[in-house]
Amino acid sequence: MAIEPRPAKTPVASSEEGTSGPQTPQLSARRRVQASVSSVAIDRGVFAMTPGATRPHERAEAVLSGDGLSDAEFMLRVKTGDESAFSYLVEKYRRPMMNFMYRMVHNAAVAEDLAQEVFLRVYRSRESYEASAKFTTWLYRIATNLAVNHARDSRHERPEHMVSLDEPDENTGLAIDVPDGSLSAEELLVRRERMVAIRQHVNELPERQKIAVIMHKYQQMDYREISEVLKLSESATKSLLFRAYETLREQLKEFV
Amino acid sequence: MKNATMSCNEIRELMPDLAAGMDAATAEANAHLESCADCAGKLEAFRQTMALLDEWQVPEPTPYFDVRLQARLREESAKQPAGWLQWIRRPALAVSFAVLMMASVTLVRFHSGSGGDNTTASMTAEPGSAVSDLSALDKNHDLYSDFDVLDDLQVQQDVTANP
Repeated sequence: MAIEPRPAKTPVASSEEGTSGPQTPQLSARRRVQASVSSVAIDRGVFAMTPGATRPHERAEAVLSGDGLSDAEFMLRVKTGDESAFSYLVEKYRRPMMNFMYRMVHNAAVAEDLAQEVFLRVYRSRESYEASAKFTTWLYRIATNLAVNHARDSRHERPEHMVSLDEPDENTGLAIDVPDGSLSAEELLVRRERMVAIRQHVNELPERQKIAVIMHKYQQMDYREISEVLKLSESATKSLLFRAYETLREQLKEFV
Repeated sequence: MKNATMSCNEIRELMPDLAAGMDAATAEANAHLESCADCAGKLEAFRQTMALLDEWQVPEPTPYFDVRLQARLREESAKQPAGWLQWIRRPALAVSFAVLMMASVTLVRFHSGSGGDNTTASMTAEPGSAVSDLSALDKNHDLYSDFDVLDDLQVQQDVTANP
């Protein structure tokens, strides 16, 4: 039962990252904590209103000042009843989970609900948690199972190819006919078409290829991590990803 | 194509990371790319695809994310038993348990009041079945226990059939 190696120092990203523009990849906050947001979240504390919580604010500060604890070590603290450690993990993985779920289910409200369900499951399983696997592997396995089950349960509800160009863009909050000041209506239309094509073609990949692409491209996970979540060999994961990107390259070439 | 150090298949496995900028090309990989136009072209196409995929942005979690999670965690905590006497704090459970107890006591008293009467068994048993036979044996126990006595009786010789 090996605990994952202790990271040298958790890098802190700037809060501007949350509003990254189209040209900036939305990097996973997997290895980062947003300083401004995290301090707010610790103030609020996921357990601030939970019965039995014991002064999460003070404990969270103590935990965070324990510099460089691994996620597995934080989870082991959660196991012993340290709820501020759980708040820390929620804060750290809230955005990556939301990103992952949104790209899996294509609906912001459902994605948020499923991301919360991931944390609930983590909390429920705290007593049986063993640090035998990397925390992120465990987390993404829970998330993947939830997303796949949701997709199967709602397969007939609203296929992706029915995405309408007339509905407001969930990513920008703008309807197609509302100029954002910098883009013409035509440019907006072209952008929306590209977006729809990207979403549709990623979604139409075989399930494991789709999950692998989302983890690799958008969650910045490496081959080993993806292979552990998907329970594949590293070599099989590399082939899976190559095939997936090859398909996307072919299908999206008109937009490049 | 196979060059001295790396094959096309080998470099293609590395392409997703190279195109996404997650890994830098090694000297061996660069040597292959310089000598293999196919792989170099494919890597460039992958890079363009990756750049296109970057356009897919996602919404931020709503400001209510934590509040909703708190509420769900509170529900979760409320569901968890605080101890083995937790049930007594729940009126519905306590009432159900009391009703169950009363029903059990009534049932036991009813059975003991019938004084071990086995009519129920004999009424439900099919004639000729094993249960029926056992029930008949039980009911005629007194008679069958006297069978030995009957065997010991001497036949009265002086008794005439038609006096």
